[in-house]
Amino acid sequence: MIAPRLCIALLLGPALLPAQDFKAFEKKVTEFTLPNGLHFIVAERHEAPVVSFHTYVNAGSVDDPSGKTGIAHMFEHMAFKGTETIGTQDWPAEKKALDVVEEVYDRLDAERNKGPKADPNQVRLLELQLNSAIQAANSYVIPNEFFRIIEQNGGAGLNADTSLDYTEYFYSLPSNRLELWFLLESQRFLHPVFREFYKERSVVMEEERMRIESNPQGKLIQQFLATAFEAHPYRVPGTGWPSDIMNLRSRDAKAFFDEYYVPANITIAIVGDVDPAEARRMAQQYFGPLPAKPLPPLLHTVEPPQTAEKTVALDSPSQPIAIVGYKRPDQYDKDDAVFDCLQLILSSGRTGLLYKDLVQEQKLAVQAQAVGTFPDGRYPNEFIFFLVPSVGRTVEENEKALDDLLAKFMATKVDDETLNRARTKARAGVIRRLADNAGLANLLTSYYANYGDWRKLFTSLDDLNKVTADDIQRVARKYLAAPTRTVAYIRTQAQVRVAPRPGVRK
Amino acid sequence: MRNTFIIALLSLSGLLAQTAPPPARPTPARPPAPRPTAATAAAVPAYKNLKFPALKPIPIPPVDSVALPNGMRLYLLEDHELPVINGAARVRTGNLFDPKDKIGLATITGMVMRTGGTRTKTGDELDKALEDIAASVETGIGESSGSVSFSSLKENVDPVLAIFHDVMTQPEFRQDRIDLAKNQLHSSIARRNDDPGSIAQREYSDILYGKDSPYGWQMEHATVDAITRADMLAFHQRYFFPSNIMLAVWGDFDTQEMKARIQKLFADWTVKQQPVPEFPKVTSKTAGGTYLAVKSDTAQTFFSMGHLGGMLNDKDYPALSILSAILGEGGQSRLFQLVRTKMGNAYNISADWGANYDHPGLFEISGSTKSASTVETLRAVQQEVDRIRTTEVTEDELKAAKDTALNSLVFAFDSRTKTLGRILTYEYYGYPKDFIQQYQKALGEVTRADVLRVAKSHLDPEHFTIVAVGNPALFDQPLDKLGKPVTPVDLNIPAPVKGSLGVPGAAAAGRGMLARAQIAAGGLDKLTAIKDYTQSKEINLVAAAGGMRVQLRDQWMDPEHFREDSDTPAGKISAYCDGQQGWIFTPQGETPLAGPQLTQVQGDLSRLYFRLLISDRLPGRSIAAEDPETVAIAMPTGEVVHLKFDTATGLPWSITYPAVHVSGPEMEVQDTFSDYRDVNGIKVPFRIVIRQGGEKFADVTLKDVKFNSGLNLADLEQKPAPGAK
Repeated sequence: MIAPRLCIALLLGPALLPAQDFKAFEKKVTEFTLPNGLHFIVAERHEAPVVSFHTYVNAGSVDDPSGKTGIAHMFEHMAFKGTETIGTQDWPAEKKALDVVEEVYDRLDAERNKGPKADPNQVRLLELQLNSAIQAANSYVIPNEFFRIIEQNGGAGLNADTSLDYTEYFYSLPSNRLELWFLLESQRFLHPVFREFYKERSVVMEEERMRIESNPQGKLIQQFLATAFEAHPYRVPGTGWPSDIMNLRSRDAKAFFDEYYVPANITIAIVGDVDPAEARRMAQQYFGPLPAKPLPPLLHTVEPPQTAEKTVALDSPSQPIAIVGYKRPDQYDKDDAVFDCLQLILSSGRTGLLYKDLVQEQKLAVQAQAVGTFPDGRYPNEFIFFLVPSVGRTVEENEKALDDLLAKFMATKVDDETLNRARTKARAGVIRRLADNAGLANLLTSYYANYGDWRKLFTSLDDLNKVTADDIQRVARKYLAAPTRTVAYIRTQAQVRVAPRPGVRK
Repeated sequence: MRNTFIIALLSLSGLLAQTAPPPARPTPARPPAPRPTAATAAAVPAYKNLKFPALKPIPIPPVDSVALPNGMRLYLLEDHELPVINGAARVRTGNLFDPKDKIGLATITGMVMRTGGTRTKTGDELDKALEDIAASVETGIGESSGSVSFSSLKENVDPVLAIFHDVMTQPEFRQDRIDLAKNQLHSSIARRNDDPGSIAQREYSDILYGKDSPYGWQMEHATVDAITRADMLAFHQRYFFPSNIMLAVWGDFDTQEMKARIQKLFADWTVKQQPVPEFPKVTSKTAGGTYLAVKSDTAQTFFSMGHLGGMLNDKDYPALSILSAILGEGGQSRLFQLVRTKMGNAYNISADWGANYDHPGLFEISGSTKSASTVETLRAVQQEVDRIRTTEVTEDELKAAKDTALNSLVFAFDSRTKTLGRILTYEYYGYPKDFIQQYQKALGEVTRADVLRVAKSHLDPEHFTIVAVGNPALFDQPLDKLGKPVTPVDLNIPAPVKGSLGVPGAAAAGRGMLARAQIAAGGLDKLTAIKDYTQSKEINLVAAAGGMRVQLRDQWMDPEHFREDSDTPAGKISAYCDGQQGWIFTPQGETPLAGPQLTQVQGDLSRLYFRLLISDRLPGRSIAAEDPETVAIAMPTGEVVHLKFDTATGLPWSITYPAVHVSGPEMEVQDTFSDYRDVNGIKVPFRIVIRQGGEKFADVTLKDVKFNSGLNLADLEQKPAPGAK
């Protein structure tokens, strides 16, 4: 067996690279933790006078209290509403007006809480009062001033993202405006205000309608998660259930913020044209005043074992799509790297087994993809297959082909060539991601927050290298099998045509 | 604000972040909690009082450019940050050069150029060779440019460049990968109405550019089916030649060394072709109007409104981009403030003065709102447009828009790739090298008066095209309350010709069957010589369909003039159509032919018995055998007619086609032919039985048929006298 060994030796070439890169890269990185627990990672890249910022909060939709789903996401929207000095014409007066809103809302809730005994007239009256109170409070608002300041100073890529496990805030600025970011980001967490909360609830409802209700894929994913998970909050859509969203109160957002946005639960990365000493000085000046607080509680709900296969169909006029998922352990499991390998071998590029078989050879699918961790990784989750049938092909044919492929895959061990290809891809993938400030800032915070050390970005490759063909076969056999399987698919129906309303020309 | 976990499913880019290996500890790791410390009362300045140092000069890296002996232009830029080398060739071609009956040719050529392998290596071999070293070579052809690119770790650049060269110069377009690509395209056509947001964007763009123009037409099953390997080889040969290519290479190399290497690599490639012609001009002129695409499974109405935009080198472009920023770009814009923040009616709402390098872009205001606030939202948008056209923007707004644009300009220079890309783009479209600096300067000079002036001269709300996609049954008000009649958008996807998908030879077999039928019916010569006809017939509807008897006279003239005069118990009805438009004259008065009636007449025209028989001679029709007795004929409209032959006589036995759809379930119509008689040497069926959805609908009996009697177009077009009953 000389030939294959020779091949492996040749492939070690690229494998040597990251060690050198890693050393060179590590020299550019500075880390520090403020006394209040807030952690900063600063990476210097002086190629251009720009700098990217990424704030990673280790709390997401899974932390939504029951009955108040969507609150993590709602707070994220609130974080753009300004502070006691930004976005208001007169904070003391606005504060009073906001208190009135809450007071009226309390009375409305009290009436509604009487259930069937509630007086509908009283409810209606209080609703009217609530609306006028909201309008009164809004009259003090300078709308979107927080946005305006960032945009006017050249901010790029401004956005935020609430995932199930975490929440992120990010944008980039010309590097001479470093201090502006420190000021705005610290103030939004030091002095959060909950202005325009009830209008923003409507905006979030529109977001939910756009992403889920009007989007067959969004609906399918929602159905998949709600079916696969019985108890764990991964079953709840991140935007929340519409009926919960419509009843969220501003105090719920405040309570969520107080509990989860504590300095030790937040990681910040600054990447680009930045002087680490200056960043440290400003961090102390601006974020130092954030009071230290205990870490929020861990989520204790554990998904009970799945004992039988589950299937859910979504009737829709859209073309068919199927998601096939299997339960897998969380990202802290010793087999996590094996799952990464599995995913790379099953579906990456044009040599991935799923693509070769279902797309290229059998032409059953236009897309057949494995996703190793879904919907997020901090808790036991799903290894999923996403199947998009070709025109004229069915979900059943695709499922069958996937089953056959997995059976064959488990019966034989992967060869060295395939395994090495997966490792090489993972390494090159990391190298290619180092050249982008914003992407790098994201990676650094995410690895630090999830694993306690951003270096995992590199050392994870060592774990990947240790994965053997035996490991892959063992993990595939153990996890990619019924009864932990869940299938969700779109069952295509002819569109129900609606008679046009008067005014539509026949 | 984004909630990306849904989108993440489709993107592998987030892979590593989501699936990193285990930590030492078995539970979620967090940094050690520090002891609480007293908050330090440091003075925090107001943001307005912050003083920023001057921005460091933006480094513009030196790009080395040289013409190779074979005519290819080479651009090199060193970047030693990472051990990676990338390249991208820009080729003057595009799907604007697609032939009308083969829309999709450029796209599929761009796909199979890489996947179909090279003369010496199959696509599979390329996939393996590249992925083993985590490298890539990719090809693609867009609207007005094509690209061949590579990416490689530094130490693998030799084998990657060799593949790059072969893919560029000698792609093999192997049939198995053509079939795969066609399968992908057919599937994407079948899926194009699944997402309401993309329907709105697509229809808006197609309507404004014109659905008959290369900018506005779309790929259909029939146009994809019509594309052959020979077409792809020819397309490649026509556009991929050295003097039509700009090649940019950047990364960890020495410029002189790389220059020599590339020159040597392409030294043997010396093919020459005529210069590529100009891209077609945008010629459409739309008067505007309101369009509605009904999609009942959506909770929101997705909308786009506006008209054609302009070009980047328009002298008013800087003022227009300020205008568009104030109107609807970003969180500080008027539309965002009103529709999202104040009304709470949308998550997405934006305006964009679309400008392109070489043809007008689209001015587009787009967003989505719940069905029940559709008209309210569209009205609010219209009011904002009116406001910006009637009063000057404020000094604050102007300053904010300028600051936003000027301060963020540094991001156009924040990577070497962007700088190199811009240089190539300017040169490709013939723009000055310092175009961005000129633009920057002009932006700074825009005044409030300029913004009002261009708002008045360039925004034309009277002629806005509004496209809405949603469920009108749930709208707050009918769309025509916006003041214009509503034109329905037909979302039906012309069906693929069954049997032709992935079955090579089906088209040839279909043509063979048609040729036999032409002989049986009297010969191709006689059939193609028919320039007009007149036929009188009687239609008896079955009791369930009303039990009516109708006397009818049809007149037809080549190619698509058609008149029908009928005598029904309800009175005389006349209709005329020239293939595109027409009128219908009933006892109630005259109306233009439109909607389902027009579709019906156009369908009847395309299905005229003797025209069906020569479908292989008529433009835009494609043919495929479905079984030994049936051919499928796809019409240019996308409708598919299934023509079944009597194996004994070779003459048509029946045709099956979809009923014109207004409401209710889709239905098929079947016409069965019998009682063939000879008219001027042509066999004509004198009896036709019509079934709808499997149920008998009517009997048709021909009374008299005349060919080439010298009909006169003026007679066909002549409207009945008013009041004729």
